Amino acid sequence: MPSQPTAVATALPSTPLPLPFASLSGRAGFSGFPSPAQDYEPRTLDLNTRLIKHPTQTFYLTARGDSMEGWGIFDGDLLVVDRSVPPRLGRIVVALFDQELLIKRYALYRGTPHLCSSHPHYPPLPLEEAECQLWGVVRAVIHEYLP
Amino acid sequence: MIGLVDANNFYVSCERVFQPTLEGKAVGVMSNNDGCVIARSAELKAMGIAMGTPAFQLEGLRRRGQIHLCSSNYELYGDMSARLAQLLREACPEVAPYSIDEMFIYLDGFDDAQCQAMGVALRRRVRRYLGLPVCVGLAATHTLAKLANHVAKQQPYYQGVCLLAAHTATTQALLKQLPVSEVWGVGRRLAEQLAVSGIRTAWQLRESDPRQLRKRFSVVLARTALELRGTPCLEMNAVEQPRQRIMTSRSFGRATGRKEELHDALRQHAQRSAEKLRQQGSLARAVLMFLTTSRHRKDLPQLAPRAMIPLDAPTDDTRLILQAVKEGMEQMYRPGYVFMKAGVMLVDLVDAQQYQLSLLAPPAKAHPHVMRAVDAINQRMGQGTIHFGMRDPDAAWQLRCGHRSRRYTTRWNELLEAGTHPGAIAAFTSHR
Repeated sequence: MPSQPTAVATALPSTPLPLPFASLSGRAGFSGFPSPAQDYEPRTLDLNTRLIKHPTQTFYLTARGDSMEGWGIFDGDLLVVDRSVPPRLGRIVVALFDQELLIKRYALYRGTPHLCSSHPHYPPLPLEEAECQLWGVVRAVIHEYLP
Repeated sequence: MIGLVDANNFYVSCERVFQPTLEGKAVGVMSNNDGCVIARSAELKAMGIAMGTPAFQLEGLRRRGQIHLCSSNYELYGDMSARLAQLLREACPEVAPYSIDEMFIYLDGFDDAQCQAMGVALRRRVRRYLGLPVCVGLAATHTLAKLANHVAKQQPYYQGVCLLAAHTATTQALLKQLPVSEVWGVGRRLAEQLAVSGIRTAWQLRESDPRQLRKRFSVVLARTALELRGTPCLEMNAVEQPRQRIMTSRSFGRATGRKEELHDALRQHAQRSAEKLRQQGSLARAVLMFLTTSRHRKDLPQLAPRAMIPLDAPTDDTRLILQAVKEGMEQMYRPGYVFMKAGVMLVDLVDAQQYQLSLLAPPAKAHPHVMRAVDAINQRMGQGTIHFGMRDPDAAWQLRCGHRSRRYTTRWNELLEAGTHPGAIAAFTSHR
């Protein structure tokens, strides 16, 4: 393997993008009185820290198809997939099933583990005796209303 | 204890994380411009396809679907490498990346059993969290750790993690059957010289007198011998030394004699070089650039012009460097030649901070903020988001990468897709 220079400095998608509280940093009028909020430490919220618990192990994927709409995943939505989260029953997972990467809910159906859709047209896929490999667990779905 | 974590067939493994259906298939990754094979999956190796095999020789196999060839996707590999380093940092006190797919870890204060357990845990974790298969070699020195890693890769018995204690029968047996050329830092040339003095195996090197080795060969070789005995004497440079010159060059996708295209290629290389220059905090005093015709086209006239343009004052400003490139282009260009490669090298570098402190010459650094902003945007949004001048996407010098996979982790519009039901992606793709 040739040693290529690593051009990418960081893998962490944790660009801090704070949403400032405007009122806390503002001054109270022109009279020169100090803001009553001055003593409160200004806080900002970083969406990354909320949605991404393990930056190194987190990957973004795009959802395709309509059969998970019942659980809030629409065509084109952005999935925040964490590979370090164990797949428990009830979680939404990305898995390689029959040579295809699928987004499904990992759940019991008639007492055995299945990959389930929220759409009646797509019956649950039985995991017993199927070749299925977990890719990651969906931690969050981002659905954008405006471009 | 020192560990070496080395990813198996790293480039291929990166491709497989995002194309899981390639698992178990013969996969190769090609060099820039899809020239030759630079990374092979175990299956491709088993077919007897050597490293460096020209891609065109494999075209038949590829078309018949027997092998899968990818263009190199350095953006993806670089990101996965950074993730690997970060994952190791979260588990080990100290990590030193050695190359894109090899990282040394330092486990001081743990006994052998603990180190072995950590190696096993790390290997499992990297495989699950990043999808990358790695092997771990553990030993008292860098050189032995490298060997241990080699053993972990080659011998299934170790299941990917091998700890070599310096003074055991196992290590001795291993070193005795290992050709000296396999030892870290011993190249083929040196191995030939060593063979003349009767040193053919790693064990013979280890048993040689370091003083003699030092006298007859080099200090480095003497240290290597000591390292094989388990005495640490190689230091990893934790901090990369700033480079003395910065070069960006590349072969074209297809040869060209058009002046605008050549100039354009030089301009792109100059912009990339200037960015690297700013990253390491240096200023350049001069710009060296070159063009070369194809060595393989003996039927065409050959020419390899060079131009060295001094800068008025040391600078890291892309615009001043581009002016120099323009000047150099005028000097180099000759009509009637078909060029295959272009490069830009920034030379005579000085440290920006030190230079600014000197009173002799104020640097020509008119608007450092502009350059900083350009770099920040390109780093965040992807290489080439902001660039100087227009680029022709069909230009001959552009990289040929017909089979490049998506840049899954660094471009929003190239993310991996997953379907909510079988056939969803195929339906979407055909609809589009």
